[in-house]
Amino acid sequence: MSWHMPTTVDEVLRLKASKPDATVVAGGTFLGLVIRQGLLDSDEWISLQNVDELRAFGTAGDLSAGAMVTHRRIETEPAVRRDWPGVAEAFGVVASPRVRNVATIGGVLADADYASDPPAMLVASRAVAEVASVRGMRRVPIEELIVGHYETELDDDEIITRVLVPRPTGSAAYRKLRTRSREDRPAVSVAAVRETGGVRVVVGAVSDRPRHYPDICAEWRPGDEQSTREVAAAYADRIPCLDDGRGSAEYRRQVVSVEVRRALMQVSR
Amino acid sequence: MTADMRRSPGPSPADPRVVGGLDYSIDHHVPGAWHLRLVRSDVAAGRVVDIDTTGVESDVTIITPADVAAYGTFGCQIADQRVLAAEPKFAGDPVVAVVAPTPEAAREAAASIQLDYDEAHGVFNEFEAATASAPLVHTSHASASGDAAYFAMRPLDGTNVCHRFRIRTPELRGYDEPELIRELPPLDDATMSDAFAGSDIVVEETFRTPAAAHVPMEPHATTAQWVDGRLEVITGTQTPFNLRQDLAALFGLDPADVRVVAPAMGGSFGAKTFMRTEAITAVAAAFTGKPVRCVLDRDEVFSEVTRHASTVWMRMGATREGRFVAKQMVAYVNTGAYADCGPGVAQKLGYAGVGPYRFDHVAVDSYCTYTNLPPAGAFRGYGAMQSAWASERLVDMLAGELHIDPVELRRMNLLRDGDAFCTGEIMHDTHFEELLDDAAKAVAWNDGRDGKGVAIILKGMQTPSRAEVAIHALPDGRFEVRSATADMGQGAPEALTRMAADVLGVPPEHIVVPPPDTDLAPYDTRTTSSRSTHMMSRALAAAADDLRANGTVGHGRIVNDGGLDPDTGTGVASSHWHQGAAAAHVDVDDETGIIDVRSLYATSYAGRVVHRAAAELQNEGSMIMSLGTALFEELTYVDGQLVNPNLSEYNIASALDGATIHHRLLETPGAEVHGLGETAVPPVPPALGNAVASLGYHPCRLPMTPERVLASRVHPRQEAP
Ligand SMILES: Cc1cc2nc3c(=O)[nH]c(=O)nc-3n(C[C@H](O)[C@H](O)[C@H](O)COP(=O)(O)OP(=O)(O)OC[C@H]3O[C@@H](n4cnc5c(N)ncnc54)[C@H](O)[C@@H]3O)c2cc1C
Repeated sequence: MSWHMPTTVDEVLRLKASKPDATVVAGGTFLGLVIRQGLLDSDEWISLQNVDELRAFGTAGDLSAGAMVTHRRIETEPAVRRDWPGVAEAFGVVASPRVRNVATIGGVLADADYASDPPAMLVASRAVAEVASVRGMRRVPIEELIVGHYETELDDDEIITRVLVPRPTGSAAYRKLRTRSREDRPAVSVAAVRETGGVRVVVGAVSDRPRHYPDICAEWRPGDEQSTREVAAAYADRIPCLDDGRGSAEYRRQVVSVEVRRALMQVSR
Repeated sequence: MTADMRRSPGPSPADPRVVGGLDYSIDHHVPGAWHLRLVRSDVAAGRVVDIDTTGVESDVTIITPADVAAYGTFGCQIADQRVLAAEPKFAGDPVVAVVAPTPEAAREAAASIQLDYDEAHGVFNEFEAATASAPLVHTSHASASGDAAYFAMRPLDGTNVCHRFRIRTPELRGYDEPELIRELPPLDDATMSDAFAGSDIVVEETFRTPAAAHVPMEPHATTAQWVDGRLEVITGTQTPFNLRQDLAALFGLDPADVRVVAPAMGGSFGAKTFMRTEAITAVAAAFTGKPVRCVLDRDEVFSEVTRHASTVWMRMGATREGRFVAKQMVAYVNTGAYADCGPGVAQKLGYAGVGPYRFDHVAVDSYCTYTNLPPAGAFRGYGAMQSAWASERLVDMLAGELHIDPVELRRMNLLRDGDAFCTGEIMHDTHFEELLDDAAKAVAWNDGRDGKGVAIILKGMQTPSRAEVAIHALPDGRFEVRSATADMGQGAPEALTRMAADVLGVPPEHIVVPPPDTDLAPYDTRTTSSRSTHMMSRALAAAADDLRANGTVGHGRIVNDGGLDPDTGTGVASSHWHQGAAAAHVDVDDETGIIDVRSLYATSYAGRVVHRAAAELQNEGSMIMSLGTALFEELTYVDGQLVNPNLSEYNIASALDGATIHHRLLETPGAEVHGLGETAVPPVPPALGNAVASLGYHPCRLPMTPERVLASRVHPRQEAP
């Protein structure tokens, strides 16, 4: 088994190109669990801990967070709380401070776990990931990055280097519904972000990936109760909900319509 | 009690448990020890037809069921367990043991072994297990002979019931009744019709509780070695002397030739009682001639021993004025594949379900039934939680029918000093009314009842029981207190230190309390049922007297007699009673079913507090654990396979969940020391359940997940605006 500790992105990319099966380690919170449960084993590990570039952070134009920026930083950074309150909220309700202190924005997007909080809000906020390999860099909207259960559209030699979130033009709401402990992952989550001329509603944690339906959102008339209910019902209708220990598909379907409605009411104000 | 002892600052910063300086059993490394891994059954029932070990390296010792066939059966109350199972009875039952020089080699060897089975049908639900057509988990029942089998077992041959506990108050005796009640009896059933004849109102309901996990932070960790023909075991256990006895019986040794050392445990909550991994580890040490160490993985801990799932059917009758007349209860208690102490749990569940009330007539049937699930054993609350959930929810249902305030209704019927409990014993030192009033006050009961609930319970202490302690005067002027009271994080050494200092009249720094070692400490029943501080406070006083009279070593010995007749429930259930109440104030989101706990309060009778900070932690810990029980903890099995054997899928309560709890220890000047390690466990779920019910729901099943809460709505939901 070998453990690589590169210090630059270039070095990471070269390593990843030569060892496409190597596992990239960010905060290790997801990896720790899957290794413990015997779901993953690897001979080669590439740690991003010493790659300072990946911790770069900026709020001057877009919110720009290097892949190794922690949940806790995004949650607590005053500029994020002020200008991207929905994003700060979605990162701030993840697990516990112990997890948020080490979990990273790159990790939560790359693991593509259906029951995570940040992805729904990042999709709703039109966030984009910068994805790099020795072949070059490309920008992938988060909406397209996560394609299914624990599945992204990253190639074997690629890593996420940075996430960009445009400045919001309207209000945002993030609703996390937990059915077990207060440190649990969401059973249902709804992100709603207002933008000029409309809203982006994204439902997370109820199916294989965050669900966003622009055609349904287009029917929404801000503040109108009837259209709010219709949008909520249409989301509940369209999403193929799953069953797990946090709730049955039937319960989720029911709660999606409640929580979408509530999120929309929140951003109506 | 000196004033100093009462102003306790809690654990000091130098407390070894706080600074990581304590050696738990997992930290005990015996040089040269080999490592044991268990190959476990994938099937819940059946027979192993082939064990393929061809992939195992030659330096690994493999132990199969055939290799250990010469060893007999064991079990603390029923001898139904074998060292390794040729006929596994639950998914996870150990079939093969491998012993290797390193943990990695042992893990690799275990993974390479392939088992083939002839799979059989299993039965998983406790109620179904008691039906005539259920497959039998064990074909015969053999009562154990050790000290832990402290009452007569009543197995029902040809069924999965390994113990039946009955209560029949005098006028209900002598009827010709079926051995096993498989169908819940109608009200006009001959035996019971007289009992309920004087009732104007009768309510009945079925209540369910699932299996749950103890989740001690430290997994089970055992090291065994043979030294000059003697067996030495270092293991985290609450039951050093029961373990010594059972190991001695297994190996045909004199108990004096077995030494059990019990270092501090990183939590137990009942998970480390009686024989667990010690038998196979000791056998492996005999096979290899080396010290052998066995440490379970987290997923294994989830199936090592669990809490009894149970189905409790209960009926209560009262007069229009609210006087309780009769109670009938039939409980099916799921003890899994091996009885462990399930018979004892069924008994305690049985009488605790009567509650702290007067009745003219009581009939209880509590059946401890085998199923093909992991064995269930001791669990903080010891059956009282499961039946208090039923009993205290039912009292509120009755209050609703009678249009009497639930607190008032309870008060009218509470047991008071001089009243007879259903067992015939006369109650003394009762504090139920005070506890009830205190709980009601904590949620401002008189300022509106919506969203509020109370519950009150009694819980017995291990009876009969015996505690012994020896105080040795050391040459340097200090005193060593030798006892088998185990430290599982409850602060036993600290409590012993304080109590010994008190009775000897010396400062606590002069007291030394080594961990239990059966070679050195005198006999003690075990560290369970919140008995140790109570029993040891008395044994220490006797030992101090003896020391003063006799010089260098003082012995103290306290024996509590008692016990119940398994067929009538007559006798002494408990030499002193754990008494507690809880109150809750909740909101329920009527569209999502989410319960928001605005406030949760528990009040426990403590008698006299020995160590305030530790006592408070016990009360808080009980509440937090029970909050998880009430709201979300459940081991989920699909066809006998546990689907959530990890802490992502099995949540326990977090700090945030416990943010709204508060509590009290009720003290009485000059009172005895009372156990309080679990008093706040049983009342919490029904207090929360009653609070939820006050808002128009009818929860009967734990945990009260949002989904179940919504489904239990009594009135159709009004469309929210
Ligand atoms: C107890 C607990 C509770 C949790 N509760 C929640 C919750 O409530 N809500 C929630 O949203 N999440 C929750 N999580 C999940 C947690 O947020 C994720 O585990 C975390 O975000 C993953 O980040 P990490 O940096 O630790 O990733 P790692 O574990 O290091 O990596 C995760 C995956 O991403 C890959 N990877 C990491 N970085 C990159 C990169 N830059 N480019 C490409 N691939 C990469 C890794 O190879 C790995 O496959 C919880 C986790 C734990 C342990």
